[in-house]
Amino acid sequence: MKVLVAVKRVIDYNVKIRVKADKTGVETANVKMSMNPFDEIAVEEAIRMKEKGKATEVIAFSAGPAQCQETIRTALAMGADRGVHVLSDAELQPLAVAKLMKAVVDKEQPGLVIVGKQAIDDDSNQTGQMLAALLGWSQGTFANKLEIGEGVAVKREVDGGLENVMLKLPAVITTDLRLNEPRYASLPNIMKAKKKPIEQLTSEALGVDVAPRLKTLKVEEPPTRKAGIKVKTVAELVEKLKNEAGVI
Amino acid sequence: MDFEPSSEQQMLIDMVRRFVRTEIIPLEAKLDPDASELAPEDYARLVQKTKAMGLYGIDIPVEFGGPDIDIVTRTLLAIEMSQHRAGLYVPCYGAFGGAGLAQIFEANDDQKERYLYPTLRGEKKPFFGLTEPSGGSDPARAIKTRAERKEQGWVLNGSKIFISGADRAQYGIVFARTDAAKGRGGITCFIVDSDTPGFHVRRVVHTLRSSSYATELEFKDCWVSDAQVLGTVNGGFAVANDRLTRQRIPYAAACIGVAIAAHEMAVEWSKLRETFGTRLSDRQAIQWMLVDNEIDIRTARYFTLEAAERARRGIPFRTEAALCKLIASESGGRVVDRSMQIHGGMGMTKDLPLERWYREMRIRRIGEGPSEVQRMLVAREILGASVR
Repeated sequence: MKVLVAVKRVIDYNVKIRVKADKTGVETANVKMSMNPFDEIAVEEAIRMKEKGKATEVIAFSAGPAQCQETIRTALAMGADRGVHVLSDAELQPLAVAKLMKAVVDKEQPGLVIVGKQAIDDDSNQTGQMLAALLGWSQGTFANKLEIGEGVAVKREVDGGLENVMLKLPAVITTDLRLNEPRYASLPNIMKAKKKPIEQLTSEALGVDVAPRLKTLKVEEPPTRKAGIKVKTVAELVEKLKNEAGVI
Repeated sequence: MDFEPSSEQQMLIDMVRRFVRTEIIPLEAKLDPDASELAPEDYARLVQKTKAMGLYGIDIPVEFGGPDIDIVTRTLLAIEMSQHRAGLYVPCYGAFGGAGLAQIFEANDDQKERYLYPTLRGEKKPFFGLTEPSGGSDPARAIKTRAERKEQGWVLNGSKIFISGADRAQYGIVFARTDAAKGRGGITCFIVDSDTPGFHVRRVVHTLRSSSYATELEFKDCWVSDAQVLGTVNGGFAVANDRLTRQRIPYAAACIGVAIAAHEMAVEWSKLRETFGTRLSDRQAIQWMLVDNEIDIRTARYFTLEAAERARRGIPFRTEAALCKLIASESGGRVVDRSMQIHGGMGMTKDLPLERWYREMRIRRIGEGPSEVQRMLVAREILGASVR
């Protein structure tokens, strides 16, 4: 069974992001980029499946500018076998990515697709679900544990607990934080990654319309928190909660 | 002339940086500010990770089982590994493995079996016995410890000082005079087991490096057999000369790493701290300090990478190694000093790593050949060189 994983190039989670002066987005020039942490979990899960003999090949997919190849390279260094890069300088929204992935799935015929539940830049949490819908496949979102047998048993993180579902294959999985702890790429694998192939495609060649359906009006910094006050007595606190905050 | 890391080097840099930030710094927050070791279970867990990364024993030459990476990449990684509180002297608390002493790699096969391999396996720890109360920078003249021929072996008499870890080592490398008439050519290198009769640790010497202590050693009619001679008799200083020169490069790299970490803290703090109604970062006095930090760090980095690149290409790098050690240790001291100044009173507390870096960085101008000796080496090169 082939496993396809999606890896998105995002601003590194250690970077303190800054909104651009014209409020059209966040500053990405000279900012460290790396793989979306949820996607690292997806890559790790796929590699573990291969190590256990449950998967035969792990393909890392990314869509975006030329530098996405670096992100794919990171997945290859972790242990993925080859990469597919859809080159595009356009703004790619979840629906466009899902359509591009569907085109690649049609071509590669994987038995399982694993994606991060969301990317830490736009926090959309849509691509996996949209892809499952476009493919007509089952989906197991917010996966906390996966078990491959006849189908795939997924322990899902839901409000208030864990839900167990059994999916038929092929399926789309989206990863939650506790699914696994991604490995560090090893020196030998980093060296091997250089020789692993990355196929480059375009949205035109795949026949996918990637035009944005959503328009970003404005991006703003979150409002700064106002300074708090100290109250002298419990009575004063209760009074303020009642009359000023209106919460009791 | 390409100063940009390759994509493989960048991946390794990112990986080690992440290791330091997610594995080391959170553990360090729970340790004593002067700690130099992790809890054994944490250490074992991290060693498993560095082994899986293929980077364990990073300073061990590839022919002895170390990872197959060149000295430039090692230098780039050494800059990353030191970016935490204990990083100057114990990068990542030793999770990337130790290397043993340069000389021991030049040992004969029998000695390798008895000392080198057990050291690389982590079973034995060595000490390095060169410096004496009479001096360390000019050991050829300063060494007064004598070794006299007796019964297919040698009898050592004398003392050593500022020796790290001798009380916890299983053996040491000890330089002693075997021919009083010859200066440099009269010194021999011996391997001395710590339980050899006549050898003992006379006292502990406390220094400003409070995370560790040095020792003073005494040799009193301490007999070692011929099998303990490392290299040739009277050839003590010829052992591992090239390796010793190489060591100056990662030594410089650790200084750069700490300087970068201190500078980053100073930049962040200057943007947060307000005095007299404006942020420190708005003040030119502070801005210039930060720029001077930047200049110092970049200078040290270029000089160090140049030395590493020359060593990698196998062309002479003695002068470059001396320069990078000199520049990185001196500029590192300035960067930590300025960063502490920017932090004000907070900078002096043990809540922040700056005070430890400040103390330990001071030693870097003395250890591994003081600044003046490095300058002397460069002066010899300049004055001895023909017209370029």
